[in-house]
Amino acid sequence: MDILKSIYEVVWFILLVAAGVAALEGYFYTHFKFYARAWFFPAVLGVFPALALAVFGGLLGGYTFKLWLYFLLAEAAIAAFFRYAVKGRHTVPYLLLAPAFVGLALLLVYPFVFEVYLSFHDLKLTTIMMWKNTGTLPFVGIDQYVKVFTTSPLSEVTFWALLGRTLLWTFSNVFFHVAGGFILALMLNNQIRFKGFYRTLLVIPWAMPQVVAVLAMRGEFHSTNGFVNILIGKLLAVFPFLAALGVAPVQWLTDYPLLTCTLINIWLGIPFMMVVILGGLQSISSSYYDAADIDGASYFQKLRFITMPLVRPVMMPAVTLGTVWTFNNINVIYLVTGQAGGTEQADILVSALYKAAFTYNRYSYSAAFAIVVFAMLFFFSVFYLKSFDAAKDER
Amino acid sequence: MATVQFKGIVKKFGDNLVLNGVDVDIKDHEFVVIVGPSGCGKTTLLRMLAGLEEITDGEILIDNLLVNELHPSKREIAMVFQDYALYPHMTVEENMNFALRLRKMDKAEIASRVAEASNVLQLNKFLKRMPKQLSGGQRQRVAIGRAIVRKPKVFLFDEPLSNLDAKLREEMRVEIAKLYQRLNATIIYVTHDQVEAMTLAGRIVIMNHGIVQQVGSPIEVYRKPCNLFVAGFIGSPTMNFMTGKLALEGEALFFKNEDIKLSIPPYLLSDAKKHDGREVVLGVRPDDVLVERDGEKCSDKVQGVLEVCELLGHRENLYLKVGGMRVLATVEAFFNRSPGSAVTLCFNYKNMHVFDKATESRISE
Amino acid sequence: MSADMKKEMSAAAKRRRLNHLLLHAGLFLFAAACVYPLLRIFSVSLRPGDKLVSMDLSLIPAGATFVSYAKLLGDTMFLRWLWNSLLITLATSFIGVSLASTAAYAFSRFRFPGKKVGMILLLSSQMIPAGMLILPLFLMIMKLKLMNTYLGMIIAYSVSSLPFSIWILKGYYDTIPRSLEEAALVDGTSQVGAFWRIILPLSTPALSIAFLFNFTTAWNEYLVARVVLFSSQQYTWTLGLFELQGQYITQWGMFAAGSMLVTIPVLCVFLYSSKWLISGLTLGSVKG
Repeated sequence: MDILKSIYEVVWFILLVAAGVAALEGYFYTHFKFYARAWFFPAVLGVFPALALAVFGGLLGGYTFKLWLYFLLAEAAIAAFFRYAVKGRHTVPYLLLAPAFVGLALLLVYPFVFEVYLSFHDLKLTTIMMWKNTGTLPFVGIDQYVKVFTTSPLSEVTFWALLGRTLLWTFSNVFFHVAGGFILALMLNNQIRFKGFYRTLLVIPWAMPQVVAVLAMRGEFHSTNGFVNILIGKLLAVFPFLAALGVAPVQWLTDYPLLTCTLINIWLGIPFMMVVILGGLQSISSSYYDAADIDGASYFQKLRFITMPLVRPVMMPAVTLGTVWTFNNINVIYLVTGQAGGTEQADILVSALYKAAFTYNRYSYSAAFAIVVFAMLFFFSVFYLKSFDAAKDER
Repeated sequence: MATVQFKGIVKKFGDNLVLNGVDVDIKDHEFVVIVGPSGCGKTTLLRMLAGLEEITDGEILIDNLLVNELHPSKREIAMVFQDYALYPHMTVEENMNFALRLRKMDKAEIASRVAEASNVLQLNKFLKRMPKQLSGGQRQRVAIGRAIVRKPKVFLFDEPLSNLDAKLREEMRVEIAKLYQRLNATIIYVTHDQVEAMTLAGRIVIMNHGIVQQVGSPIEVYRKPCNLFVAGFIGSPTMNFMTGKLALEGEALFFKNEDIKLSIPPYLLSDAKKHDGREVVLGVRPDDVLVERDGEKCSDKVQGVLEVCELLGHRENLYLKVGGMRVLATVEAFFNRSPGSAVTLCFNYKNMHVFDKATESRISE
Repeated sequence: MSADMKKEMSAAAKRRRLNHLLLHAGLFLFAAACVYPLLRIFSVSLRPGDKLVSMDLSLIPAGATFVSYAKLLGDTMFLRWLWNSLLITLATSFIGVSLASTAAYAFSRFRFPGKKVGMILLLSSQMIPAGMLILPLFLMIMKLKLMNTYLGMIIAYSVSSLPFSIWILKGYYDTIPRSLEEAALVDGTSQVGAFWRIILPLSTPALSIAFLFNFTTAWNEYLVARVVLFSSQQYTWTLGLFELQGQYITQWGMFAAGSMLVTIPVLCVFLYSSKWLISGLTLGSVKG
């Protein structure tokens, strides 16, 4: 019975979304069709809002008037947009885009704007009841932003330490992702037997659900029961001289949490890069290599002068995305260190941000923090993609 | 079947003027080839007729019906695309009857039309195959078949043979010519290949820089090109051009430049006095350059040096140098002279063309 | 052929054989490193109850049993969690791919004011730090009174993969020649009809990649789930496993068994579609 009910619930919701999309399309379509008519402007500002009031009036109780006002404002803006900017052109693309962008506006842009709002106010455990009751928050200006740079988001570690750690984390991860991916892709790009089989096995870390992969790997880094230390122990038993070089089982999770997280994340991220680079390698026409062979190029010369430059355009966007994803990667660190409430040694910016919000309940502070992080990433990407575009234009 | 009229067609992409006032009337059952170098606007014109491109200014009429704002499917046209545009996820049969299915036509009728078209194009064996499994020529035939089953008012061909190799192109050219005789439809065919234009067309429309240069039957545009562009574009190998000045000596008119002096007979330029001192370009097709031969209507003899011979089989191309000018002559094979030897040549008066140098338009009869 | 040349040839052949041997050895090592943790989970899931924590490295442990699986399915609501996850994930993927497919078409085929801004908006949405949007979403869902429901989860997830999906799909649409749609227009479809009858069927590979991407994102998500869902009846499997692992005595056997059960189907789908995945990802990234 439960199952039927849950199916019913979800299907009902999807139908609701479909109806919403249809209504939206109809709404925009009327604007496209009648934007120039003399009666349309007064009608949309008079009839539509009245209809909305009649239909939704009873549903939302106290919010109604406020919502209605917003609706009226939005309607005026939309009607003006159609009348003076769009003028009934580009009907099809706008209608195609409308559902996705309304969705994004509601579930991505609005929350984002709300975070901006929060970052200039003060929402924390002590003010949350006031906010619930009155809907207002104390305005604090840029205080939160000042705090981001001056106080610790957790209990001791500072913003600057986190930033340095994040850069280290991002750089080392991306470096090993690309290097490992490149090597594996080069190896797979040969005419050898069992190629498909190897490739299948090599993408497993990417294909596994991340939660499972990370939690399992976390277990493997356990000091006594994890295979990493067991393996080290066995190695030491076979090659005793390694001990002199400082190889010994260590308390991975407590002594080297960031290193552990990095190792796990490298393991997780190599397959993605491998797949992207392999796609790039396979798109290189073999005639370039034939020409280089005739010119007498060695393997490494071919790698340096043909493979690298030709794979670059495929790799660069992937590297950018990978950098951003690694920078924003909260899964690994949170799953490895976060649950026991323990160490702060492995936290990077985004995990500190999440903990500041949900462990320490400093909502506004974390909002300001998030916007700082977002701005950093945004400028990095813009700069990076610009320089990449410039390089592309040169060729 | 139907007539098509273009009236003062203008097309702009942003500030870029692609078509600048095109006027062409196409009669019922006519095979019209629009030809010109790439970028001349010929494909744009065709796409505007199909309704795939907006019309900046001017009118297009099909059967005297203004179609400027009509959706492509309502114009009762069929189009064969350069890359065939076969739907990769449908079989040959589905490709061919797609338009008919969209029209909710009677099933028996659809089947009979597809059968008819596939008989004509010898596609019976391939009906169940996917486009991917066909060769280039077969795909081309499917694309044509897709147009035929519609029984449209006008067929549009957009460089249909340009993706085929030379041999196949010749075969398909003949197929299309046969098809035209059979369908007796109005066909508008765009190509950059003047050989296709000459062999297929009932009338040729030659375009350059968004302007119609000349409209006429293949023989007309070949015999009487109305300007330098048409003269150079139509005919292979390309016409020889010589720049110089016209000069009146007594009653006779002469063409003069640093290298040669030729008398111009009155039947080429009647009013000799009017042309005295005019800067002109003299055009002679390679076929009309006579080497080591005497002809009745032949011009004054000119001395030249043979540079290179190209044997084509039955004909031979001779690259000659007359003073500083290069002249190409096409003669019967075998011209037994070694490169570097001196030859005497003359030009066939009957087929000489005189163009004004400044306006580039034809001034001879 | 002279003896010298023969010698040289056989030396070259030897070198090639050696190279291949090295390649195989390297690939085998890497592949083993990739598979081993999965095999370890499998082996842990087979261990009898009293030897869950041990230093044993063998793949099939002594006294292997399926007790953990039986306990997981019998004693916990694991199946219920899977079902919850499946419903939420399917619904979000369906909504996400539908919205993305049309929006990507607009970006790929039309020129309209705001196109560039829209693309930049999509790209910059990738820069939003994880966790940043959770709080507003949480508050929004609370206001809509959708806490602890599927709908709340679906709403929170539905657009999370949208930008990336649009990006991938746009890249794929760009490779489909325009003349196909033009042929369809001449044949008598509308612009939307051409999209529906020609472009969508041809984009099956890209659509499946987008679907897969949406699916895995939602399937593996737990940060939002952690704040939205609070009764174990409504848990997704991520929360459920998290709970098994988070209890004061980690239920390693059950955790491992659960991990195997959620991993294997996803792994199969993933490996099955990996061919498309490669082309789709590179296309999406090259064309940008």
